[in-house]
Amino acid sequence: MKTLHRRRAAVALGGLSLAAGLAGCASAPAASDESGAPAASADYADGDYAATGEYQSPGGAESIEVEITLEGSVVTGVTVSGNATAGNALRYQTEFEDGIAAEVVGVNIDELAVDKVAGSSLTSDGFTAAIEQIKADAVA
Amino acid sequence: MHARTEAFDAAWSRFRDDSLVRRIATTPGSTELPSEAPALLDLYRTLYECTDGALSPLVGRALEQWGYDSAYHLRTRDSVAPVPRWEDAVAWDGRALHTVRPVVLDIGAAGKGYLVDLVAEVLAAAAITAFTIDASGDILHRGGAPLRVALEHPLDPARAIGVARLGDGALCASASNRRAWPGAHHILDAISGAPAMRVIATWVTAASTLVADGLATALFVGEPGRLAREFDFEWVRMLRDGTVERSSGFDAEMFA
Repeated sequence: MKTLHRRRAAVALGGLSLAAGLAGCASAPAASDESGAPAASADYADGDYAATGEYQSPGGAESIEVEITLEGSVVTGVTVSGNATAGNALRYQTEFEDGIAAEVVGVNIDELAVDKVAGSSLTSDGFTAAIEQIKADAVA
Repeated sequence: MHARTEAFDAAWSRFRDDSLVRRIATTPGSTELPSEAPALLDLYRTLYECTDGALSPLVGRALEQWGYDSAYHLRTRDSVAPVPRWEDAVAWDGRALHTVRPVVLDIGAAGKGYLVDLVAEVLAAAAITAFTIDASGDILHRGGAPLRVALEHPLDPARAIGVARLGDGALCASASNRRAWPGAHHILDAISGAPAMRVIATWVTAASTLVADGLATALFVGEPGRLAREFDFEWVRMLRDGTVERSSGFDAEMFA
């Protein structure tokens, strides 16, 4: 698994991992110390979760499937599968999938959110939707 | 809200065969425009003047020729006709648009932001005072606590170049990394007829989403100081070489 994650770190794309990166950038350099982060109020039950997130692309509705492994409220594994069949959606989903695991793994799930992302991404809408479902499913 | 959105789309879509814009594209003459038109066209006119014609709603034909049409062909350039000058192609009297030849209007620079404002009016009429409308890149926030909004890196959407704080008002982002194809993207400089290349991403906060969206596009082809003489806004933009420029009043923690 570690090898897989490291390989995926080469290209980094995706809305959720963005939020993960923010937590590191915004707080003090002591990344492993959670004291500066917002209190993690929710506890999540360990386990594997899956959800499908929908988003709109210029080519029509697309969806991605997100599978998350939680241990002690921390994401320890992420798999993203795109369902795009053609065109830009396929290209973007491929890039998105390539980059996402390494960025998200090891980050407390409650930190995986700013309120909004302002850019031009489309896929991250689907990813965020899937994560919201998983968070709801996983609350202990 | 759906009715409002549908009416807007039916008038302004470049991609619908039954839209007003499509009719104007095929039939020269006088076309009475819907009640939302004055604010939109007035904004476009001001942006047109502030950018010396580089931002124009008349880029529709060129966008089609670059491949950004309803079928989203994404083909590369073969031949692109010059974008007509506003004063040569159209006259707007506040109610009707007069054209002497077919022109393809494209309100992509500000249309989505404007629709956000129009939907907000629907909410306000229903006495809803606290809400956030997120139209993927164009955000309007009213009431409640300020939002933290990540500013997505245009070359690496896994990263943010900063986090903006958005109280009451609009934040619009524009970037050339989507709706792009080899050698081209969807934000055209109307003077050259080619995609704007020096700037790769912009973010603007303003009181209305119409203005924020229009300025986010204008900052690709225009200079902030000139625009600031006409509009009250704060901004960030990233240039092709990675340089980040911003106004001193942009409320954000910046990482780049």
